[in-house]
Amino acid sequence: MKTITLALCLAIAALFAQPAFAHTAILKCSDNGDGTVFCEGGYSDGTPAGGTFMKLSDDDGKTILSGKMDNNGEFTFDKPDVHYTVVFDGGEGHQAEVDSNDIVE
Amino acid sequence: MKKISILCLAAAVSLIASGAQAHFMVMYTPEIALNDSSDIDLRMVFTHPAEAGHTMDMDGIKEFYAVYQKGDGEPKKIDLKDTVKEIVWTNPESSDIAYSALIPKRTFRSMGDYVVVLVPGYHFEEEEGVYMQQIAKLAINVGGMPGNWAEPVGLPCEIVPLIKPYALWTGNVFKARVLSEGKPVPGAEVEVEHMNHPPDLGTNSMPAEGTVEYPHDAFVTQTIFADENGYITFGVPKEGWWGFAALGVGPDKEHEGKELSQDAVIWVKALDMK
Repeated sequence: MKTITLALCLAIAALFAQPAFAHTAILKCSDNGDGTVFCEGGYSDGTPAGGTFMKLSDDDGKTILSGKMDNNGEFTFDKPDVHYTVVFDGGEGHQAEVDSNDIVE
Repeated sequence: MKKISILCLAAAVSLIASGAQAHFMVMYTPEIALNDSSDIDLRMVFTHPAEAGHTMDMDGIKEFYAVYQKGDGEPKKIDLKDTVKEIVWTNPESSDIAYSALIPKRTFRSMGDYVVVLVPGYHFEEEEGVYMQQIAKLAINVGGMPGNWAEPVGLPCEIVPLIKPYALWTGNVFKARVLSEGKPVPGAEVEVEHMNHPPDLGTNSMPAEGTVEYPHDAFVTQTIFADENGYITFGVPKEGWWGFAALGVGPDKEHEGKELSQDAVIWVKALDMK
């Protein structure tokens, strides 16, 4: 019985905690036109994404490049020759991706 | 004879109707919630948007800029005066000098809010012998990351929204605060108009046909008042553009020896949920 109450309490607590996670991860990338790509990340509530892990995956899921957002939530990288996906990894539920085909000048 | 009396009647009606129209500094670009940065083609016209009414001389543009902010970052002022060009705006029954601005894609490249500000010159209203200056704001968002949409720019007078002005649904309540020199204006009189004749940027005109028919003159320009803390609330009844003008709230009360109404204008856009 005690276990059930505890589980119930935790479940209720989780419900209440939910609104704090209502924000979504946002990632926007554009081609600088000089062989580099500029990405910006953040959250829909205005929280910056400084320090967030970034990676570029190729079509096989292999990581081509990895790094971190700077303090302004910005990440610039040299444009790979292959098709790739930019992945913003802000932890569970806070991921965002941009396909290289959608990255234009 | 019959024709003449009909004409007289029409003239009389239009005279009465014009009394119900409100002057509005229109600042318009089709999209203000942008997924990606793009060139922003904007128009600035002093007119009566609810009825595609009389177009008036705004006496030039004193200032035109944006205040940009991403998240909690530092706000940054971007001067846009170089992007302005003089045009002629034509409404069904009148035309006058207005302005266009083509803001290049790179200017609004980063995610965040760009609160675009227009400080026009002084329009002289001959019939009343008074000057008018409507300082207008339009918030544009790029990429969904919010910024300073709820912050005052620091204008002599302004309307500061409490709900994202670029992300309204039809039926939302628009809430905002009317400020004069940064302080709330209790009981401020605010006129509200629907952009009933969607501007055509290709021809720089508003069509004669509106999207709504008004049953009575009182519906053309709605009037609301701020509460004792300067807050206004307005339920948005229809999708499209809505303009709010707080009348005579600015600190300047005189221009060239004549009475001046220094007003604060803001434009918001609502979309249907579908």
